[in-house]
Amino acid sequence: MDALVMFLYDIPLLGLLFQFGGYVISILPTTGPIFLFAAAPIALGSLCGLMNERSGIVNIGIEGMMLTSAFVSAYAASLMVASGATVGGDAPFGASTPLIVGVLAAMIAGMLVSSLHAWLTITIRTDQIISGTIINITALGLTSYLNQILSKASPPNAGTFQPFIVPADIVELPVIGWFINAILNQRPITLSIIVLVIAMQILLFRSRWGLRTRAVGEHPKAAETVGIDVIRLRYRNVILGGIFAGLAGASLALESAGSFQNNMTVGRGFIALAALIFGRWTPLGAFGAAILFTASEALERSIRFVPPPGQLGEIMIGIPLQVYGALPYLITIVVLAGFVGRSTAPAAVGQPYERERRH
Amino acid sequence: MRTRSIGLSLFATAAIVVAACTGGGTPAPATPAPVTPAPVTPAPATPEPKVWKIGVVTDVGTLDDKNFNQFSWEGAQKGAAAIGGEATAIVTVASADYDKNVQSFVDQKFDIIVTIGFALADATAKAAKLNPTVQFIGVDQAPCLTGAGDPDPTFTDCSGDMATLLPNFQGLVFAEQEPGYLAGIAAASITTKKVIGAIGGAAFIPPVVRYIKGYINGAHSVDPTIQVKVAYVSDDLGKAFNDPAGGKAFATQFIQQNGVDVLFQVAGKTGNGVLAAACDANIYGVGVDVDQHESTPETAKCTVTSAEKKLSIAVEQAIMRVGDGSAKGGIIGNDAKNDGIGLSKYYEFESMFSSDAQAKIQAAFDGFKAGTTDPCAPANCTDPFE
Repeated sequence: MDALVMFLYDIPLLGLLFQFGGYVISILPTTGPIFLFAAAPIALGSLCGLMNERSGIVNIGIEGMMLTSAFVSAYAASLMVASGATVGGDAPFGASTPLIVGVLAAMIAGMLVSSLHAWLTITIRTDQIISGTIINITALGLTSYLNQILSKASPPNAGTFQPFIVPADIVELPVIGWFINAILNQRPITLSIIVLVIAMQILLFRSRWGLRTRAVGEHPKAAETVGIDVIRLRYRNVILGGIFAGLAGASLALESAGSFQNNMTVGRGFIALAALIFGRWTPLGAFGAAILFTASEALERSIRFVPPPGQLGEIMIGIPLQVYGALPYLITIVVLAGFVGRSTAPAAVGQPYERERRH
Repeated sequence: MRTRSIGLSLFATAAIVVAACTGGGTPAPATPAPVTPAPVTPAPATPEPKVWKIGVVTDVGTLDDKNFNQFSWEGAQKGAAAIGGEATAIVTVASADYDKNVQSFVDQKFDIIVTIGFALADATAKAAKLNPTVQFIGVDQAPCLTGAGDPDPTFTDCSGDMATLLPNFQGLVFAEQEPGYLAGIAAASITTKKVIGAIGGAAFIPPVVRYIKGYINGAHSVDPTIQVKVAYVSDDLGKAFNDPAGGKAFATQFIQQNGVDVLFQVAGKTGNGVLAAACDANIYGVGVDVDQHESTPETAKCTVTSAEKKLSIAVEQAIMRVGDGSAKGGIIGNDAKNDGIGLSKYYEFESMFSSDAQAKIQAAFDGFKAGTTDPCAPANCTDPFE
């Protein structure tokens, strides 16, 4: 076996590819759980964007929705601790009452901000880009401002969710052990992303709701003619999409940091949009793109922490590290430009819908 | 939007009004009761003793942030008490208000104006140039001045000498390599794997590099065979210093792949995620700048100590220099010699540090004072990747 590996590694040029494959396989078990964890808020943000864009509404306000939800979840959890709820305990995932309330509050906050977006874009028919921009700017200013006021009182901390620990017997299974560990050794919101992505994929392409949503996103007039209430469906989808942004915010605040920081989303909402486009407006595609983005970051870190041995190591260290981080976004541009396959937005995206009046 | 800007302006105005009304009396509310003596009504015959008016402009945040603002403010109050004056604070609400807040103290004829944080360096330098009779103290500030004495935010023309151009401006800086060195000794004393780590925000920020190089040298002074793994998060300042979630992912991978069992964070809010990762991995963390066992309670359970800038002492001494007339402008270094740096308390981790380890830390501190210990040797403090 070793002889075969050495033989493959020594083939000129092609051998490098094998070496790279070998290196990736060697780092996957440790980095797998980390990049899935990092991908969760991005993938959740993408699902929020998907709910909007598939029904014909552009949403560049995901960033602001995530930030607002992160803020609300952190302070809701703090408030619960302050009012006497117990922290810690033996519940699975360390899920104490304050943390659960924090997640619920984040979902509600996401829905509220989304309602604003829905009202502005569907009823008022403002420019959808402007609406999203307003949400982003307002969310950043308002949360930072309120955080300054509220953090004065040194609010008590609710801690974070704890990851599920996969039994060692399973982790040590050959070939698939690491994979199961990567998926399951996670905190609850990150875990839920797998279920949500699959459910959304099925719902969008195999359910009546999905068909109607896509119809509204592609050709609202035609949809209206066959009796679909375009306005109502758009409202419902945009507001429900806020739940995903809410979960993304809660993941940042209650699974990572354990507290709120001003502008703690640092652009993840926009990365989520890129993932959505890269994934061609499908849940699975967007999830895959999010994984690709965070995995390439993990690869970049790996090359720094444990560089591969031999010739491959020399080459990989020689490449400026920023290139690895930038690679997925370069690919996104290529995809957008249409060089690799087609990535077309739903046809009606960005156009306000106005019902025709009876004459 | 509109409501918010009105709210902000109202708040800022209120802050200034409060400052204006309390200029001669008590400092702004929500602060620990200051020990300012009530202004003594002078007997008609004796000359009126000078009551120094000391204004403090904080960075964006709060006055009791257990961080830069709070400790600098405490120093200002102590300094005021020492020289017979009163300290008043304006809490900056938005970074756009720096100039305005400094100016409001100038307008009220304050004698000493203290500004907190490197972000206020340019606003302070501008005001110092325009108001040569007012004494300015900038915490963590080393502005880049042009030959004409104007701040250059782009750091292209730094030919101006602060000491001669702005003799009324003391820029307080700190020898980060010294507390970094002490943290290195502490980390080397508690590691069992002989592999320790440090995560910096960005490699192009000199103070970050000084902390880390000091840390490496300190650890090696205990045991040269200890491996010190170092990594910088990003060249993007947002990711480097303001992304706890990203810091957590970064540090989790760092801990797993490098196998460290003590981790020093020099990455601001990103570093709070680094400490969180350390706690989750059941290893020890070392905080930075202020006592992080206190300032970030969510990670206190694994923060054994912190490499600290003693902001309170530095500000107090700067004010006292103004009081006794010995103040000179320019970059004022704070280090072990004036107790301007140090290592924070160990709290519940006290028992982990043997008397031998504590003696080594004290010896290094004394060595800095005497000038016999060089925290920048053998690894230099300038090149991040050397």
